[in-house]
Amino acid sequence: MLLRFVIKRILLLVPILFGVITVTFLLMYIVPGDPVLTMVGERYDQQTLEEIRHDLGLDKPLIIQYIDYIGRVARFDFGRSFITRRPVAETIRERFPRTLLLAFSAMCLAVVFGIGIGAIAAWGRMPWLGRSLMTFSLIGVSIPVFWLGLLLIYLFAIQLSILPPSGYGGGSLRYLILPALTLSFASMATIARVTRAGFLDVACEQFVRTARAKGLSERAVLGKHMFRNALIPVITIVGTDFGSYLSGSVLTESIFGWPGLGRFIVQAILKRDFPVIQGSVLFMAILFVFVNLVVDVSYGLIDPRVRLQGGRE
Amino acid sequence: MSLTRFFVAAILTVALAATAGCGRREEPPTLRLALETEPTTLDPAYAVDYSSGLITSLIHANLVRYDPDGRIIPDLARSWDISADGTLYTFHLAGSRFSNGKALSAADVVFTFRRLIDPEIRSPRWWVLEPVAGAAAVRRGGEWGGLGIEAADDSTVCIRLERPTAHFLSLVSMPAAGIVTAGEISARGEDYGRMPCGSGPWMLSAWGDGDQLLLVRNPYFEGAAPVLDGISLRIIPEPMTRIAEFEVGNLDILEVPRAELDRWRSAGVTLMHEEELRVVYIGLNNERPLFSDIRVRRALNRAIDVETIIARVLFGAGRRARGVIPPGLRRTRVPDERYPYDPEGARKLLAEAGYPDGFEMELWQRENPEGGRVLESIQGYLAAVGIRAAIVTREWSAFKKAVEHGAADAFYLDWFADYPDPENFLAPLFHSANRGGGGNRTGYSDAAVDSLITAAGLCRDEGTRWELLAAAEEKIYHDAPWIFLWFPTRYELVSPRLKGYRMPVIFNGQRYLKVAI
Repeated sequence: MLLRFVIKRILLLVPILFGVITVTFLLMYIVPGDPVLTMVGERYDQQTLEEIRHDLGLDKPLIIQYIDYIGRVARFDFGRSFITRRPVAETIRERFPRTLLLAFSAMCLAVVFGIGIGAIAAWGRMPWLGRSLMTFSLIGVSIPVFWLGLLLIYLFAIQLSILPPSGYGGGSLRYLILPALTLSFASMATIARVTRAGFLDVACEQFVRTARAKGLSERAVLGKHMFRNALIPVITIVGTDFGSYLSGSVLTESIFGWPGLGRFIVQAILKRDFPVIQGSVLFMAILFVFVNLVVDVSYGLIDPRVRLQGGRE
Repeated sequence: MSLTRFFVAAILTVALAATAGCGRREEPPTLRLALETEPTTLDPAYAVDYSSGLITSLIHANLVRYDPDGRIIPDLARSWDISADGTLYTFHLAGSRFSNGKALSAADVVFTFRRLIDPEIRSPRWWVLEPVAGAAAVRRGGEWGGLGIEAADDSTVCIRLERPTAHFLSLVSMPAAGIVTAGEISARGEDYGRMPCGSGPWMLSAWGDGDQLLLVRNPYFEGAAPVLDGISLRIIPEPMTRIAEFEVGNLDILEVPRAELDRWRSAGVTLMHEEELRVVYIGLNNERPLFSDIRVRRALNRAIDVETIIARVLFGAGRRARGVIPPGLRRTRVPDERYPYDPEGARKLLAEAGYPDGFEMELWQRENPEGGRVLESIQGYLAAVGIRAAIVTREWSAFKKAVEHGAADAFYLDWFADYPDPENFLAPLFHSANRGGGGNRTGYSDAAVDSLITAAGLCRDEGTRWELLAAAEEKIYHDAPWIFLWFPTRYELVSPRLKGYRMPVIFNGQRYLKVAI
């Protein structure tokens, strides 16, 4: 049943990706701007401009360009960047792992601390702690990433001098902490709030009362019975957020000079570097769809009721 | 594991890991610079943006180049002769080597220049060699036979020009004319831009994609070798992050954003400054009926209190532009003030021109926070004389397209010198032959200005040439195709550990040879 579900979802990928390709392609031509203008710089002659445009096939009718593009995609040929002349696939291969590293670390931080904060806040033994943690998470949801990033740089790099302000540092942990923390913050706060709500919800459920009634220790009630059930909404958040971690890491990557895919795509968009935009957006779309698929499957693993419904479809 | 214990463990792990790498290693003496954007290519024929041009010219040597003061000095050519009629340049090469060890000969220079002009190469910078005899014909797809570039022997290059061109040496000092070698170009193909091989003092050692570039000494460099072992250029897009990196001592030189000036002026650090070879202006679309009336253009110039904007918005980091030639390039008298701040006078001019109640216009800018603040104040000044200016913001590519197609009434823009010569501020920006992509984006066209600029190009006597250019400038200032704004001042913070650094007047005038730590 699960296998059929997965296959069905993978087949659904085809129309989705086709849509993504078409929309990206059209958007690039609707939005004003011209990649050739970036390539020729500040002072140029019309002849060179037109020759380059011709070389790149930008002077062909839109529909021909579209068919050419579909043809290349079908052959998994993302082409070379107009501006840097580097193969797009090579750059994605180089940069994506860095964004993934950042996103994954941020997600881990968000999950670990978010669930922890939420659980403690729901616990109710220390109401003042719960309240201050929830205030903290309210700030976390509302704080702009940009400001938070600069604040963390100021605190940890300039005042305390224990972490480097920016850079990639070959992927070393010291360089990863501040950007990962910055990126995780908003989602950590959301997870904390949802976890708390989840715990409070399940606390009123009958199985919890039953567990307590049969004399289980508070730790067992919390850890074994409540935890798993309060977790369902958290997984949804993590799943949907992970996509936005990948695409939303742009600001964080800029602040911390992190050479990831997000910044690369934004640069490409600003310069109208069509092959890069097309290749990266397509790559991100495939990834996004897959992450969602994994999330859906993992529901089933955690909550058998979802699995059953999935099977009946 | 209980939740509490788990969290304590997690926090401890992170804290330990964070402090683990704190012990500083001894690093070889390297100059540490920051770039806002990653260079796109290090191939001289395609390098058009600032980062690319800067690094390309550290790696590639030219026939001649600029020193930090903006004077032409020998580079690969130890000397050169110019014929009496100014059309034949003979360059005598010193013995130099590329960073792969190969000796540089006149054939390499000929190869480089032919490549730059070659229509198949599609170099957007071929115009650097446009004055060379036959170059324009070759570029248009004509015969190579008439091209005036040849190697007389291994160490002599002769270049014949179509007509005398006073700024020709400036042109061959540009990054695009950096000498490359045929072997490496054909071996690397499209990847040459990431694996350049020049005969300059530095060579590319690593390009950690998007993170930093590392240059090391070119072991075959024939001139006085650089004092330092290398230059690291980190790519840090955010100005505030660059400042943080400087504050913790990770950068040696940093351009200070103007909004930060006050803080650093009083911080007791080395703050260098230099008037940039750059002019900031609002171009008026002279082809629109509205701005074809000189009274309207002059009214706009009188309506804006530029001095106050410089003081308040730019924190004093600029000088009011009377004319278009930056102070650093001026050898002649500054034109008399024609457009003092005078809103009453502006209103009168507008009434005379038939706009007693003002008019509506669009003021275009490319996305940029400082530009936004500047234009808001200009919008306010214009409103005071009845002109309702709507600010239209686009990112660079869309902005450029609109301006080039004459879609904008007026646009806020600046012009950086390609080389330190006033010609570079007059010919591209105001000669009618350069309308559009050539640099003249206002569509300004004046026969007298055209002939003065052309005459200056042909002129063999420096003094007369300056006078001709100044006369062209005077006429332009009189005609007001722009709202003349200011010449900005650049401020740089320099680390106390650095010795021997001077701010160059032109971006490729500093090769960091004498800089020491």
